[in-house]
Amino acid sequence: MKLGHKAFPLFFTAILLCTSLAQAQTETYRARLSPMPTTPQTVSTILGEGEVILTLNGNTLTVQGQFEGMSSVATMAHIHNGPPAQPGPVVYQLEIADATSGEVSASLELSDIHVEALRANELYVQIHSETNAPGELRGWIFERQ
Amino acid sequence: MKFLNTITVLTLSRNLTFAVFLGLALAACDTEVSNTEEDVVALTFSSQADAGASAFATNCAACHGANLEGTTLGPILSGFNFLQRWGSQTPTLLLGNIKANMPPGGAGTLTDDDYLDIVAHLLEANGVDAVINALTASTDFVISENISSVVQRQQRAEPPAPQGVTVAGNVDDFVPFVPITDAMLENPDPADWPMHRRNYYAHSYSPLDEINTDNVGSLSLEWVWNMHEGDSEPAPLVYNGIIYLINPGNVVQALDGKSGELIWENWAGPANRQDMRNIAIYDDKIIQATTDARLIALDARTGEQVWETIVADSSKGFSNSSGPIVADGKVILGLAGCARYIPEDCYISAYDANNGELKWQFETIAEMGQPGGDTWGGLDDVFRAGGETWITGSYDPDLKLTYWGTAQQKPWVPVSRHMTIFDVGLYTNSTVAVNTDSGELDWYFQHVPAEALDLDEVFERVLVNRGDDKLVFSLGKYGILWKNDRVSGQFRDYTETVFQNAFTNINAETGEVTYRQDIQNAQLNEWTSACPSSAGGKDWHSMTYHEPSGTMIAPLSQTCLENAAREVALVQGGGGVGASRKFFEMPGTDGNLGKVGAYNVDTMEEVWSHQQRASLHTGTISTAGDLVFVGDLDRRFKALDVHTGEVLWQTRLGTAVQGHPVSFAIDGKQYIAVTSANGGTSPRTVPSVIATEIKYPSRGNAIYVFSLPE
Repeated sequence: MKLGHKAFPLFFTAILLCTSLAQAQTETYRARLSPMPTTPQTVSTILGEGEVILTLNGNTLTVQGQFEGMSSVATMAHIHNGPPAQPGPVVYQLEIADATSGEVSASLELSDIHVEALRANELYVQIHSETNAPGELRGWIFERQ
Repeated sequence: MKFLNTITVLTLSRNLTFAVFLGLALAACDTEVSNTEEDVVALTFSSQADAGASAFATNCAACHGANLEGTTLGPILSGFNFLQRWGSQTPTLLLGNIKANMPPGGAGTLTDDDYLDIVAHLLEANGVDAVINALTASTDFVISENISSVVQRQQRAEPPAPQGVTVAGNVDDFVPFVPITDAMLENPDPADWPMHRRNYYAHSYSPLDEINTDNVGSLSLEWVWNMHEGDSEPAPLVYNGIIYLINPGNVVQALDGKSGELIWENWAGPANRQDMRNIAIYDDKIIQATTDARLIALDARTGEQVWETIVADSSKGFSNSSGPIVADGKVILGLAGCARYIPEDCYISAYDANNGELKWQFETIAEMGQPGGDTWGGLDDVFRAGGETWITGSYDPDLKLTYWGTAQQKPWVPVSRHMTIFDVGLYTNSTVAVNTDSGELDWYFQHVPAEALDLDEVFERVLVNRGDDKLVFSLGKYGILWKNDRVSGQFRDYTETVFQNAFTNINAETGEVTYRQDIQNAQLNEWTSACPSSAGGKDWHSMTYHEPSGTMIAPLSQTCLENAAREVALVQGGGGVGASRKFFEMPGTDGNLGKVGAYNVDTMEEVWSHQQRASLHTGTISTAGDLVFVGDLDRRFKALDVHTGEVLWQTRLGTAVQGHPVSFAIDGKQYIAVTSANGGTSPRTVPSVIATEIKYPSRGNAIYVFSLPE
C-alpha cells in the first residue's frame, strides 16, 4: 500500500503515539553494585563496584551493566528475590564476562510475581567470583531517579 | 621433654593429630619405637605463642596492628593498656572474652586451638615468660604474676607518663575568672558554650548570629592547636573566652579562645590514649571523668586538682568514655564497661560538686526481687549485664529530672545471653528519668526491649517545649526519632530517619516495636541481615534542636550489617558482647553513608536531607545565623542552611573531622570551633570497610577555630 501525502502525517502521528505509549510503559531501574558484607579481615578480598540499568517493558526486563575491580574473575551473575538487605533465592541468571571487570547483561521474561517484586524493590543483582563463590558484588534494584 | 607435664601432643601440623596419637599408641605398645623431635613436637606455651602470632597476623592485626599497637579500628593490646585491663585476670577469662567477641566478622573461622594460640601470643608479647606449660581452656594463673623481672625492668625503662599539672598558668592572667553558678548554667550567656551541648536541654544551639547564611562563605581559619594523639571525640567547653579541652589520655587543657595560647594543662592519668567525649564546669571547677572510672575536679583557673573520687572499680572492666553533667550542684555521671558477668551492675551516680562525695546511685539493671527484676528470664543477678550509660544525659531544672539513655542488654543477641526475645531486661535500651535530689527513677520508657542486634538507644535526650507540651526526643541506632512526654514518659510519636528493616511494625499509639521473625528467633552462629548497622542510624554524634524553626537536625549513618550470635558461657567473670558482624552499604542510598536529616518536631516529617558518601563524625550544631555545622570522615567541615540543607561553606581539615562543634563569642566576635580526631568503634570501623576509598591521616588530632575576617 502506497501512503499518500495526506496519509503520511497521520502515519507519522500514529508512530509517535505508539512510541510515546511504549515509552510510557517502559520503566527504568538501577542497581548500584558494591561489595558483599565484609569485615576488616576480609575488606581487601571482597572488592569492586558496578552499575546495572534494567529496563522493563511489559514483562520483558532488559539488563545491561558494568562492573570492575573484582578480586578475581566473575563466574556467575544472578537476580535474586529478597527485600532490601535481606538475601533471598536466585530467580534469574545473567550473562557475565569471564573477567574481573566487564559487562553483565540479559533479556528476561519476568513472571507477574517478579514484576511485582521488581516494583517493590525486592530483587537484587549478585555477581560471584572465583575467590568469592558466595558472591562478591551485590546491589538491590530500585526505580531509577 | 622435661618441661612437659601435659599429655597433650601434636605434630607440627594439627591436621596430623590423629597420626601422632596413633604413633603414641604404637609407642606405648613397643618400647623400641621412639618419639623423635622430627615426629612429635610437644605443645608448650611457647609453641602456642608462635602459632598464635601467625593466627593473630591473619585474623587480628588488621584492627589491632601487627605489633598489637592498635589502630583506628581496634584498641592497643600491649603494654600498660593491656596490663591494666587484663593483668589481674586469668588466661581463661581472656580466652572467653576473645572467643565471645573476636574477630568481629569471624564466627566459626577460628578453632578453639587458634583462640588458645592467640591468647598465648598476647601473653607472651606482653611479657608473660614465666610459663612453660601449654595453656588450656581452664588455665587460671594471674597474668601479671607471670611477667618476669626482665620485662618489668623493660617496663620501668619507659619514661613515666606525666602526672598532674604539666603546664602551669592562670586563667586570671587572660581574663578575670568569674565562678559559674546554677543560674548561669540554666541560662548560658550567648557568648558561652558551658556544657557538652551548650544548655541543659541539650539543644546544641547557639544564639549567636554574626556568622549567618549571608556571610558564612567568608568563614576563615583563626587559629589551630594540635591536641595529644589517641582516640578522640571531644566536645570543648567555652566559658568567658577560655576553651577547656579534653584530650586523649585524660589530659585537660585550658586555651585562650582568642589567640589559641595554652594557659594550663593537667594529666589526670592514666595516660592511655583513650577517649573522653566531654567535661563539665561548675563554680570554679572543671570536672572530668577518667577512662578508668574516676571523677576529678580541677581548679578552672590553674588546672590544679581539687578533689578526686572513684566512681567504679576499673579492674572489673568499668570505665567512662563520656563526662558528667552538673545539675543543681550535683555532678551526675554515667558508666560504661558493664558487659561482664560480675555482681556489680552499671549505674548513674551523683556527687557533690564541692567535694566529690557520693550522693546517690541509680542502677540501670533491675535485679531479682526489685521492680522489673522479673524481666531477665530468671537469670541470676550476676549474669545480668549491659545497661551502660555511656552518653551524657540532659536535665530539666523545673522538673528536677535528669534524662539518660541506657544501652542494650549484653551479650548482644538474646540466644547468647541465654534469654528469649520476650525477656526485655529492664532498664536497658530505655529513656530513664531520674530525680536529681533522690536518685529515684521517676519514669522509664523502653524503646527497644530485648535488643537483638547491638543497636542501642543510649544517646542524648533533647528536651523541647512546644506550647504546653514538655517533650523529650531521642534517636538511637535504629534511626528512629522518638518523641515522648518528658513529664510522664508517655509515647507521643516517632519517625524513621533512615531505612530500617529490623521491625515489621511500630505501634503508632504505643511505640511498641515488633522484631522481624528471623531476628526474634536468631540462633547461635546463624547470620541475620538487617539495617541499620551498629554504626547507627545515629550514633554518639549529637543532634541539634533549632528552636526558631522547630527543627531537629541529626547526623545520621546509612549502613547495614549481618550479625551472628556466639555462644557466651554463663561463667562469673565472663560475659562480653558475643556476636560476629559483617557490614555493607544500605540499599537505596546510592552508597551515601552520611545523611544530615532535618525533622519538624511537631509533624515529625522530614523537612530536608543532605546526603553524601562520607560518613559524618561530629554532632550537628545550629545557630541563630540559620546555620548547621557538621564534619565528616573525608576531612570536610561544612555549614548548611538550616532551612534547606544547602551547603553554604566547607573547608578541609588535617584529618577526619570528629567531635562536637561549638560556637562562642569574645569581645562581641563570633567564633566556630571544631576538632579533627581519630579513633572510635563502630562509627569508624564500618565506614572503613565500606567507603575504603576515603583516605585520611592516622594522626592529626587538633582544634580549629574559625571566624569572619575583620
